[in-house]
Amino acid sequence: MSRKAKGKRPSFFENQEVDRLLAIVMAVAGEVSVLRDRLDTMERLLDARGVLTRDDIEGYRPDEAVEEERQAWRSEYLERVLRVVHHELESDASGESRQQYEDTVKEHQKELSEKLT
Amino acid sequence: MSTQTRHGILPQANHDELSRQEFVRSFKIHLASRVSPGNRAIYDTRAEPEFEKEHGRKPKDHREVGKVMARQPYYQMWSSLQRTSQEMMWDAVSSAVDRQRDQLISTARDLSGKAGGSLTLDPSLETPRYHQAVDIHCMPGGYHTDFTDDDVTAGATYDRAVHIYAMGRLGELNDDMGQTPVLWMKNEQADFQPRRILDMGCTVGHSTMPWVDAYPDAEVHAIDVGAPVLRYAHARAESLGKAVHFSQQNAEHTNFEDESFDLIVSHILFHETSSQALRNILQECHRLLKPGGMMVHVEAKPYEGMHPYDAFMLDWDTFNNNEPFWRASHSVDYQRLAESVGFDGSQVITKMVPSALGERAKARTTLHQGGDFAGSGEWFLFAATK
Repeated sequence: MSRKAKGKRPSFFENQEVDRLLAIVMAVAGEVSVLRDRLDTMERLLDARGVLTRDDIEGYRPDEAVEEERQAWRSEYLERVLRVVHHELESDASGESRQQYEDTVKEHQKELSEKLT
Repeated sequence: MSTQTRHGILPQANHDELSRQEFVRSFKIHLASRVSPGNRAIYDTRAEPEFEKEHGRKPKDHREVGKVMARQPYYQMWSSLQRTSQEMMWDAVSSAVDRQRDQLISTARDLSGKAGGSLTLDPSLETPRYHQAVDIHCMPGGYHTDFTDDDVTAGATYDRAVHIYAMGRLGELNDDMGQTPVLWMKNEQADFQPRRILDMGCTVGHSTMPWVDAYPDAEVHAIDVGAPVLRYAHARAESLGKAVHFSQQNAEHTNFEDESFDLIVSHILFHETSSQALRNILQECHRLLKPGGMMVHVEAKPYEGMHPYDAFMLDWDTFNNNEPFWRASHSVDYQRLAESVGFDGSQVITKMVPSALGERAKARTTLHQGGDFAGSGEWFLFAATK
């Protein structure tokens, strides 16, 4: 079944993409909250069953090796999340432009009309 | 915050489904208590001064407030978040209900007949246009869509979502809108003892149950146009041990006999209909009531006499939460309407009554913030004796 309610969605910002983006961000925020609850459940169950206590978790301090591994993971993670920002810088540095891209498309079309029609 | 009573047909939620629903509830409470009140500050410090500068006077009604508020970035942000919270609520509940649809249908079948109530469906009943035009308050499929045979999806989704929507402020059984007029009747009409009661537009029977408890000797009927909400309502009532006779009928034209009820009630039914339907419904009430019988209807607060800013915030649902009749229904002259369908004007009562949840209702936000039935701890009551 569709989970879209019948009736056109309103937008509130001048650019309706902002409304969409906000809805996406809140959906992700919701899923982060779900994950957080799941972790909390695990901690409480482990505590209740005596596997480890919540104080063990609070008191845990990563040693240097663990911290390095975590740092490496976070770096890769942030790279992925901020992909579009990094790519933009790369793009600027290479001097590419949309005009360049559109010119390429035109070249193809020109070539098509010359060679294949 | 109240938790919801786990009656026999309430949809369950697994770990993540529950977390998702609880997140939406927290999100809504946060919007209501931390974000929405800022709209008033924006109105006072920016919007109203802007309007005064342009027009040399203050806005005279909610429409004029709307013109200056619509361009305030803070209001835009709140509105966009409020709409999103509503969509996330339905999604969080619908996904859980979809997963257990077959089980819920089979549970509904098993519960039927446990408490002596009944269910009569009419597949030939036409779903009115005011249900078909848009899905009311953004619930996918509205109250009337069957996604499969013997479906209860709409009822199960509605029952759970209302509890989240109202942030628990309608009580463990979502029954504040039934409890409130019952309390008023017990205080103000103590001698009135109805033997036959009709609840119009009952949905899943949230507000029907308090009438069953208040008048245990009465025969209680409840009608709605939506089959999936009625199947669920029947199973829920049976599970709670309340005998109610549910039937699929349009309140504008029922098949009950003339002068066959002592008491007719409805709870926030009117704003989901239309001007013509509202007149038809009141005509039908007049036809169905015995002489000396009463009708008692509960609605959200009318705009009249309200500060234009409050009316504007209360009006948010009209354009932004699939409630197209909300605005018009808040400006109805009930006194005149009742007289025009045959009620004696001196027998008409319109007043605000405090929520039956009493002390607990004080926990509600008293601000008109949209998205909480304008939950200010009181309801509009419209009653008349034939």
